[in-house]
Amino acid sequence: MEKLEKRGNVFGRIMQNELSMLVVALIGLMVVFSILTEVFFTPLNLLNVLRQVSYNAIAAIGMAMIIISGEIDLSVGSLQALAGVLAVMALNATGNVVVAVVVALAISIAAGVANGVLVTVLGLNSFIATLATMAIWRGMIMIITNAVSQIISVPDFSKIGTASVAGIPIPIIIMVVLVVVFHFVLNNSAFGRYIYAVGGNRESAKLAGLNVKKIKMLVYILGNLLFGVSAVILTARLDSGQPNAGEGMEMNVVAATVLGGVSMTGGTGTLLGAIVGVVILGVIQNGLVLLNVNSFWQDVVRGIVIILAVYLDVRRKISVEKRLLRESQQAQQA
Amino acid sequence: MKKVLVVVLAVVLMVAMVVGCTQQEQPAAEEPAAEEPAAEEPAAEEPAAEEPAAEEPAAEEPASMDLTIGYVCNFMSHEWYQNVCNGAQQRADELGVTLEIADANNDAAQQVSFAENFIAKGVDILALTPVDAKALTSVVSMATEAGIPVITESNPVGGEVTCVGTDNKEAGKKAGLWFGEYGIENDLELVFLIVGFPNFEDCRLRVEGFKEGLEESGANYRIAQEVDSEGGKEQALSVSTDACTANPDINAIFGINDDSTQGGIQGYKSAGLDEANLHALGFGLEGVVGREALLNDTPIVAELAMFPDFVGAGIIDAAVKHNAGEELSERFLTPTTVITPDTYADYYTQEGDKWVMNFAAVDALNG
Repeated sequence: MEKLEKRGNVFGRIMQNELSMLVVALIGLMVVFSILTEVFFTPLNLLNVLRQVSYNAIAAIGMAMIIISGEIDLSVGSLQALAGVLAVMALNATGNVVVAVVVALAISIAAGVANGVLVTVLGLNSFIATLATMAIWRGMIMIITNAVSQIISVPDFSKIGTASVAGIPIPIIIMVVLVVVFHFVLNNSAFGRYIYAVGGNRESAKLAGLNVKKIKMLVYILGNLLFGVSAVILTARLDSGQPNAGEGMEMNVVAATVLGGVSMTGGTGTLLGAIVGVVILGVIQNGLVLLNVNSFWQDVVRGIVIILAVYLDVRRKISVEKRLLRESQQAQQA
Repeated sequence: MKKVLVVVLAVVLMVAMVVGCTQQEQPAAEEPAAEEPAAEEPAAEEPAAEEPAAEEPAAEEPASMDLTIGYVCNFMSHEWYQNVCNGAQQRADELGVTLEIADANNDAAQQVSFAENFIAKGVDILALTPVDAKALTSVVSMATEAGIPVITESNPVGGEVTCVGTDNKEAGKKAGLWFGEYGIENDLELVFLIVGFPNFEDCRLRVEGFKEGLEESGANYRIAQEVDSEGGKEQALSVSTDACTANPDINAIFGINDDSTQGGIQGYKSAGLDEANLHALGFGLEGVVGREALLNDTPIVAELAMFPDFVGAGIIDAAVKHNAGEELSERFLTPTTVITPDTYADYYTQEGDKWVMNFAAVDALNG
């Protein structure tokens, strides 16, 4: 009996911890794919998956921070094209990889400032404001390129997306470093706590003396800077500046972030959860292609997995709430 | 301090916009005579060399004819359609026809609205590249009721005067036959990755035709896997990496457009396979990307050329012929052919750093 209860507790603890629930789901998926195809669990394929999800994961760090702060940024996909193509133009004009990267990051920061001003200074709803900048960035890049891809004439730039250090592809290294840094920022710095505070309850954050506008502005700038990093990696991987790059990416990144347990209403969620969300979606796509599943079925499976994951998350939240309620009742009785 | 930072960043954005917009002006100036909008470097040196070419349309002006064509393109954010529109504009300028172009931006509802606007405006001929052919039947009958003949490009709607464009299945078959013969000549056992876009009928037909051609060629081949690129390089790269990892014996790629083929090749490399063993054939030769891949040392051994400029000119030609009372057949077919690095110069001539289509050579393909 005691043993049973103990087991129940372990399972209960897993159920109550958002991240471990997601990790269990991810491991489950990986086990299934490993059984179904021997190629899945090979170092080459696992590196492929991580390389494929790297730029989405980096963008998801930014998106998670923005969503936790109570806002959203739909312009992430268009910025991939704007920053990526202008970086390639700068690269081809100067032949200097550093200049190209700086151009991409500077444009991304400027885009973050623009989004931040629209949301914090002008007070526009972030969904609408960034829907507008999404259209503007995409339109600008089409005007600049006439929809023609920009070919990279300096091969060194492409190495950012294709080369490896000690057998590990550079995009994966960049992803891991950024995840560690921003995990620390969100969890161990005052700024991180402020982000949760302004997203959780704007009014009480304000009453507590936080400069809500300033914090949100900084979050937009940091978030867009991360989008810029993902744009550099994506552009290098595609070996060209594609005006259509990142089309629909906002949906993937937002879906992965929410799948990872970041609440759309702000204030809750973890960065690691968002990253696991991205990896889950990446593993699903990779596994289904390895299994040669018809692409139409892939869409259906992806949708079902998202629904399942979010359903489990809802159940988890309800059970946590019940437990808290029970505990507070017990405390009152005592 | 922070305000200064904000101002500095705002200035960076403004400069980026201004630089972007000024760079755009130059290709625009070249367009009337150019085969393609300025390619990889819409940079400052170009305009001088291009200026004489820009005079050509002006010289043709006396031939002006009283015909206005309203053309609703489906998706101009793609190089292929940029070149279709350039070809149409160039031919319209030559013949003195007035051409108005609207972009539906891949939105079927928006296409209907633009078409209605052209009908209300009273254009002489309405041309459409359908976003979705099924969504346009009411527009076509509306135009017909208003006495405005409709010409479609690429996909027939039903009720139009003619449908201009390539025969996708036939073109796919040519590509398949060519690739099969290439395999026989080089004594290869071809193991294919097909990078398709099954959501679109045109692209499905290309793959169907390709398979028929391969079969007919008698080549020793096997299709290892078919993947869905959704028409873009990004998705093509990702799914092709996975497919090549699962099937490392792949040594041949067929892509339904240039981006799919390029993404497929990148994916092959990403899966750690040696490019030297790969043979790829791209469908389209849509513009700069396809040309660079064909002419430089890449796994591309040939391109199935669809001549977008010729398709664009075909829309205008069909309209002018119909206007002159000529009876047109259901399909106004534009030619396709397999082009290798050696035969590229037969169809495109280099003028400065541009390549201009040899209209006569392409026309001769029609037999």
